[in-house]
Amino acid sequence: MERFVYPFSAIVGQDKMKLALVLNAIHPAIGGVLIRGEKGTGKSTAVRALARLLPELTVVADCPYRCDPDAPEALCSDCQDRLARGETLPRARRRMRVVELPINASEDRVVGAIDIEAAIKSGERRFEPGVLAEANRNILYVDEVNLLDDHLVDVLLDAAAMGVNVVEREGISIWHPARFILVGTMNPEEGDLRPQLLDRFGLTVDVEGIKDIGQRVLIVERREEWESDPASFSQRFADRDAEIGTRIAEAIARFPKVVMPAGILRAIAELNVSLQVDGHRADLVGRKASQALAAYRGIPEVGVAEVNEVADMVLAHRVKAAGGRRELGAIPQSLPSASRASRS
Amino acid sequence: MPFELTLPFSALVGQEQMKRALLLNAVDPGVGGVLIRGERGTAKSSAVRALARLLPDYEAVGGCPYRCDPAIPSRFCDDCRRRAKHGSLPVVRLPMRIVELPINASEDRLVGSIDIEAAVRAGARRFQPGILAEANRNLLYVDEVNLLDDHLVDVLLDAAAMGVNVVEREGMSVVHPAHFILVGTMNPEEGELRPQLLDRFGLCVDVETPSDIDQRLRVMELEREFLEDPRMVQKAFGAQEASLRQQLLAAAMRLDGVNPPDAIRALISRLCLDGSVAGHRADLVVARAARAICALRQGSIVELPDVLEALELALAHRRRELASDKQVQAQELASRAAEQLAQIQASAPTEAAQAVRGEATQQEGAAGGDANEGWTTAESRESPSSEAVETEPDVVIQLRTFPVKKLDLPRERQARRAAGKRTSTKSETKRGRYVRSSQAEKVTDVAFDATVRAAAPHQLRRRQATPDAPNQLQLESQDLRQKVRERKTGNLIVFVVDASASMDAEQRMLATKGAILSLLRHAYVRRDKVALVAFSGRNARVVLRPTSSVDLAERRLERLNIGGTTPLTHGLMTALKLIKTERLRDPHVYPLLVLISDGRGNISLFGEEPLLEAQRTAGQIKQERIRAMVIDSTRDFGSQPGYPRNRVTSLYGAYAFNVCGDLAERLGGRYYGLFDLSQNAIVDSVQREMLRTGSA
Repeated sequence: MERFVYPFSAIVGQDKMKLALVLNAIHPAIGGVLIRGEKGTGKSTAVRALARLLPELTVVADCPYRCDPDAPEALCSDCQDRLARGETLPRARRRMRVVELPINASEDRVVGAIDIEAAIKSGERRFEPGVLAEANRNILYVDEVNLLDDHLVDVLLDAAAMGVNVVEREGISIWHPARFILVGTMNPEEGDLRPQLLDRFGLTVDVEGIKDIGQRVLIVERREEWESDPASFSQRFADRDAEIGTRIAEAIARFPKVVMPAGILRAIAELNVSLQVDGHRADLVGRKASQALAAYRGIPEVGVAEVNEVADMVLAHRVKAAGGRRELGAIPQSLPSASRASRS
Repeated sequence: MPFELTLPFSALVGQEQMKRALLLNAVDPGVGGVLIRGERGTAKSSAVRALARLLPDYEAVGGCPYRCDPAIPSRFCDDCRRRAKHGSLPVVRLPMRIVELPINASEDRLVGSIDIEAAVRAGARRFQPGILAEANRNLLYVDEVNLLDDHLVDVLLDAAAMGVNVVEREGMSVVHPAHFILVGTMNPEEGELRPQLLDRFGLCVDVETPSDIDQRLRVMELEREFLEDPRMVQKAFGAQEASLRQQLLAAAMRLDGVNPPDAIRALISRLCLDGSVAGHRADLVVARAARAICALRQGSIVELPDVLEALELALAHRRRELASDKQVQAQELASRAAEQLAQIQASAPTEAAQAVRGEATQQEGAAGGDANEGWTTAESRESPSSEAVETEPDVVIQLRTFPVKKLDLPRERQARRAAGKRTSTKSETKRGRYVRSSQAEKVTDVAFDATVRAAAPHQLRRRQATPDAPNQLQLESQDLRQKVRERKTGNLIVFVVDASASMDAEQRMLATKGAILSLLRHAYVRRDKVALVAFSGRNARVVLRPTSSVDLAERRLERLNIGGTTPLTHGLMTALKLIKTERLRDPHVYPLLVLISDGRGNISLFGEEPLLEAQRTAGQIKQERIRAMVIDSTRDFGSQPGYPRNRVTSLYGAYAFNVCGDLAERLGGRYYGLFDLSQNAIVDSVQREMLRTGSA
């Protein structure tokens, strides 16, 4: 029996959050999303809903890391060996899932640990994969990321950045692919993440409870409908969801062909310099996010509008709160250099 | 690292100094490693990983798990020593590699442990080499070295100091060589490095984000290309990489022929002395670095510019004074150095130089030779001290934050349960990092690895005793090991501030606000929370609920009302309630109440004499085992530190005795009479207090 997931297109409001998730689905190299906000604002609903409409994955059927048979550089060592021996790797299709990391996750659970049974039976130090292994090629959802032990967050972000999980403990030395879309949530009133860790999240979105009465009523109505008859509710939004899914798939295909004019890149860099942002990540994420947005909108060339639209998501967690005021500049609408397109 | 997808070194944009420092170590590992300090996102890790492909090959004893150096028999491992007696040892050429110390490394992986398989199968106590063994003759890379767990730092320091790793655990006793180039990265905003560890790095560079737009564009371009097709990028820079590798090799070969002339040696010592550098290691590092620099430019005699460059790289982390304007300093240094060199060369060249050389070699002898050689005297593990940090001059109204000294609090033995970073405690529940194992009477949190390791050597024997269960691990209760986990508890600092219309009320509030923001800016590192209770008029209010969020604090502290009478008791009671509530949420939070007032409470809460009420409340607070301190903001000083206590003569009118001092005593806390109530002074006092009451 299929478990019903609340449809993505049925979520009321929260457009920025939905956009941030979509952009990461199109181009995971953006680096994930950190969603800051109170509880009950639809964060996990949105993430699960997104997973539902993403394209299915082709995986190596019997690989615990669900390796991609069509991406030989990203294979785990087992799959690599099998391929080297001339085996054809068995294929299967799987849906993308949301893997959750509980708050009180221990390091063993996250990173993986020694397989006790194997150790006891034969003295073998075998590796028991953890959450990071499950997350490979999926979405990793980390609730209340600011309450996690710092070193766990470090481990997560390292894996997210490098695409691998390297484990060196308890007598084992092992690595496996760990490529996932990272979504973290936190309540800012409970404290912040270290700037170093914050910076490694691609985008940040601040969500609040919706104030508009009309929308609030709609949220409740929809929720009630959903709960009383999830099947027909899903049906109602099935088409819209399918459309979004298709758009994302098309955007993924379109992404590499989107033109990024030199002037736009320059504008991004200038904006970040003027805001005195630390490091290069704001530049790099700004480029990727605006390009992903252009791809999603079917726009052949990235323009000022796209950069501005993603600017606050890219910069919210990187701009120093100098003097208590955080002003996110936007690049001016008419840029002499931006209007001339030339693929850099 | 699995996927060989590293950005080529020659492709890295900008950051010339960092690249230079790394290359010098590739030319001469004896330079002593690099500490790369900088903001996030500045390619620190990328540069180190890229370096791997440029490192030179080296000669090692064939078949030795530690790859001993055949040219230095004094450093042989036991195996090599034994084999050497029976004939000459085979020699192989190996590529140098980068060994990473990952954040989640456990101590046994770093140090090495018992080979479980061998133990279970054959009952043998064989040593399974750890990261330190792998690092021998290689480069050990520690990312975010300032966040490394203390116990790992200790292990690292010992190995780096002695050049060997001594393992005594699980019934094994092993010593093996551990000579490595140490490269570390850190973000100085997130905490300082222990001075002993700091000194362990030969060179140090500070990296910043470039503001040059073109440079940034090149970075963006490079990143995009690398994401799309990493192999193409590697190919594109293939020629440059090969050329660079060639240069390094040529330089390494020239090295032996390059020697600093006596005058240069003398100059180096003079400059280091002038630079108020601690210890002698700097002289050695500068000399070695200058040699490497000279070799790289294909020279054979070390000259002044080589020295100046080496100096900059070697002293960045050793100077006692702060570098103010780098450009100006560099120019001044250059001209001063040129003068001194001329002096040295002019004055009785052979005598003076010989004398200085004599000193220099004595120094070298005392410090034990090469910068990277094993040290003859083990350096004692001192307890960490907070480094002196220059603070900006006190400007009272302007709220400037300044670097907060890192506090090193002694560990407590009591078990606490919260997440935080300043205090390190042993935690009871199964959260926190598994740092080591221990034997315990009742094992509730089994350290499986340690248990299996403890049981392993006995398997052969025990299994022989139970022939019908040959494949089971035979555990006995004495094998069980308990996981020792470590978590860090947070402090809750509650400021209770007098906002009444007394003298300097505004200044007091501003200074307190500044102090709070300053402490909070570093609270994310320490996971401390800060709260603010203000009292004035006829009541007290919680202006800032316990938070570690700077933004929240800034917003809530924007408007602070001042004026009216002084309900001191209300203030204390409100703080007490706040702390008790916090304790309900988190029983083991570590509170500190900071009262800033002139003590002249004149509003009654319970209908009694205000002073008496305040005194009683203070007593209550003490009973609740809440740490407290009082900052006296009276400006007319009959209340100097070491206050005189007189009896109260009258209940109303002039308070002839030191109210704050008295309150401090009743609170069971310290009294701080601040002569100059500024943000700096407040933060200083709070930190001193936290340091003082590190335990219980």
